[in-house]
Amino acid sequence: MTHTLSSTAQRAYWLGRYLERAESTARLVSVNARLFYDLPKRLPLGWQPLVVITGNQDVFNEFYDEPSEKNVTRFLINDARNPSSLLNSIEFARENVRTLRGIIPRQAVEYVNELYLYAKDSLSEPLSRLRRSQSLVDIPKFTQRIEGFMSANMLHDDHWSFFRLGNYIERADMTSRIIDVGTDNMLADVVELEPFADIQWRSVLLSLDAAQSYNTEVQEPINQAAVLDFLLQNPRLPRSLAYALKSTRNGLRALPRNDQALRRVNRLRRKLAGFNLTEPEQIREFLDEVQIDLADLNSSISRTYFATATKRSPVKKISKPADKTAADPTHSGQTARSTKAAGKQRPSSRRSVAKRRPSKKTTSSNAEKGKSRS
Amino acid sequence: MTIDWRSYDTTGLWDELITDSHRARKGAGNLCRVLAGLSDEELTARKTAAELAIRSMGITFTVYTGEGSGSIDREWPFDIVPRLLMKKEWDQISAGLTQRVNALNRFIDDVYHEQQVFADGILPPEYIERSKDYRPECRGVSPRYGVWSHVCGSDLVRDADGQVYVLEDNLRVPSGVSYMLENREVMKRVFPELFEEYVIHPVDDYPGRLAACLRSLSDVRSPQIVVLTPGIYNSAYFEHAYLANAMSAQLVEGSDLVVGTDDMVYMHTIEGPVQVDVIYRRIDDVFLDPEVFNPDSTLGVPGLMRAWRAGNVALANAPGCGVADDKVIYTYVPDLIRYYLNEEPILPNVPSYRCVEKDQRDYVLDNLDKLVVKPANESGGYGMLIGPKASKAERKKFARQILANPRNYMAQPMLMLSTAPTLIDNHVEPRHLDLRPFILSGAKNYVTMGGLTRVAMRKGSIVVNSSQGGGSKDTWIVDLES
Repeated sequence: MTHTLSSTAQRAYWLGRYLERAESTARLVSVNARLFYDLPKRLPLGWQPLVVITGNQDVFNEFYDEPSEKNVTRFLINDARNPSSLLNSIEFARENVRTLRGIIPRQAVEYVNELYLYAKDSLSEPLSRLRRSQSLVDIPKFTQRIEGFMSANMLHDDHWSFFRLGNYIERADMTSRIIDVGTDNMLADVVELEPFADIQWRSVLLSLDAAQSYNTEVQEPINQAAVLDFLLQNPRLPRSLAYALKSTRNGLRALPRNDQALRRVNRLRRKLAGFNLTEPEQIREFLDEVQIDLADLNSSISRTYFATATKRSPVKKISKPADKTAADPTHSGQTARSTKAAGKQRPSSRRSVAKRRPSKKTTSSNAEKGKSRS
Repeated sequence: MTIDWRSYDTTGLWDELITDSHRARKGAGNLCRVLAGLSDEELTARKTAAELAIRSMGITFTVYTGEGSGSIDREWPFDIVPRLLMKKEWDQISAGLTQRVNALNRFIDDVYHEQQVFADGILPPEYIERSKDYRPECRGVSPRYGVWSHVCGSDLVRDADGQVYVLEDNLRVPSGVSYMLENREVMKRVFPELFEEYVIHPVDDYPGRLAACLRSLSDVRSPQIVVLTPGIYNSAYFEHAYLANAMSAQLVEGSDLVVGTDDMVYMHTIEGPVQVDVIYRRIDDVFLDPEVFNPDSTLGVPGLMRAWRAGNVALANAPGCGVADDKVIYTYVPDLIRYYLNEEPILPNVPSYRCVEKDQRDYVLDNLDKLVVKPANESGGYGMLIGPKASKAERKKFARQILANPRNYMAQPMLMLSTAPTLIDNHVEPRHLDLRPFILSGAKNYVTMGGLTRVAMRKGSIVVNSSQGGGSKDTWIVDLES
């Protein structure tokens, strides 16, 4: 019997996360672009929320003056200085898959490569609106093809479990972030105006590709309570938080030494089941907690399964001059991400958020990078 | 018809398939007939089929593209015309290879123990002491069966008179065997009908034989075997992954392994540390253990030499075995066979001159335009002077290098490497080739049925290395009697 190496398990996990992240980011930008064109020009709507979702507003502010469409889309799509930019996510996915040859089906490896080549080619500067919108629609097609092929052809072994874990944890994180931003009161003025009343929550549903499902499942006009319940609790919606967490639990169950991680995910599921909030401020605090819990779950998985695999062979450097926040090109570490809650002190005995969700100054990726070069 | 053997020009060379009088050699008749019977379209279709098979099977090799840009994977270059050898001749070659490797292993074991070979005056000890691959750290270690080079790849060439010579023995980390296996798979897809015409000895038992050889190095009942690779950017990574998979062994990088305080080797798995018993290492000695060799190595495992010396892990090939993989030591192999085995060499060496000996050096310097001069410790065809093809200035420069460091050079007459018909733009032309069989040594010996035939695709070239434009052919050991 062959064993599952910590190092390859780690790469499979991050492959899952980066592919999911790439897809979510592509969807987010294209849906929101469409939506913002609908809004009256006189409204003070910016692209800022998209930066907030990805948790890299500090990096953004360092390099850009204003959250204009051009700046934000460039930052989210192809700015190498943004560790979670679409192109970085795809490039990291590719680097991980290269070291998984022999584990991931050859064809899937090729598909990842094709995705990389396509993205690099079609999303490079200068990026016109037209080219951007066409290309972003294609990204999920590529990622779905990769995952579909793997699902249908790959041995459903430990590597597969780690890949799926990466998918679902990233998905849970992304869903909570998108709802988080949707709950923001930045659109408060708009929602009072017909016909824009439901635009905020419609945007959230569209970002999660859940608008059609909402209509089938909820049969109630779009409103905050119904949308929140649907996106957080619905057991049949693949992008709901409940679904992602249940799948995470199922993934963990197939693995050895899973007690600690399972305890964490089950605690989070119980917390979610008891969710009953209506005040935007409370909801956002709840979502912050979810993101912190997910980060804890991520560290728990890393500690249990990958702890010994952080050092790895040197992988080709990606040149990012003067970029302090560049993700570890070996992609073993999580790229920098923080919530707007970063830096905020939590009450009670919880450790500070800043400590758990490192802001760009103390990114785990930087630590990882130092280690990987040793 | 596109292939016409009457116009195939072999003048002055030994061709593996066709004689000087344009006839098929013994055994090659059916093959030549089938090839000549193919139309232009059919020939193109076969060639395309081979390319498709190579692409879909993902057979690649890695080429370094230079500074900064890293490396790229290229599809494996393959020629669809196979190379034939008669079983009877092969049996003789095979026996000769086993004999050589056994003598070389005895020699390495002797070098790291009693050094009787020096005491008896077979060769001077300073050759060893100045050898780049002599590792004093290996003194006194006794690998099982006295075997140090468990996997050897010897390069064979045939001269114009038909005589087969051993050109060199790659005792350290020879590569190419996966391509031998994949070439056969491609050939079966492209020319299935030929496999009905011939009794071709199979080659695909190699991974099983290698696994058995590695197992025999441990006294554990079912040892944990790993293949240690430098990683995906190594030119032979395809092969490392291929062999690990075919042997159901674990493919690991140095960072996956750790030596515990108990001097045992463990690999990091999701279930925790798992003990490793045998390491088929595909990284060079100097990178194996930063505690002992290159301290900057990130490819190796700190403490690995400690674990190996304590007998807690078997390393194949053993560290230090490169001491015999030295082109100057090579010149002594016939003597070593007589000395250790008390037998006459079955396979001859290419006649060679040692630059360290004055009279031989003088001959070399006077005849640089006729000789091939090789450095003692390079592989892949690097650092050589091919006298007849070099310019006067190049020869002059090389002469100075030889004088500065005579121990580092040996010279050989330029052989007229044999050729085989090779498909070039839909007709066949002779191209030079060599052959690399692989010899396994553990509890017992095993020699591959044939090996990897490498062919220089450029007209007149004798450089067969795939990194320098070489291609390859399937190699058939054919039995007419059975």
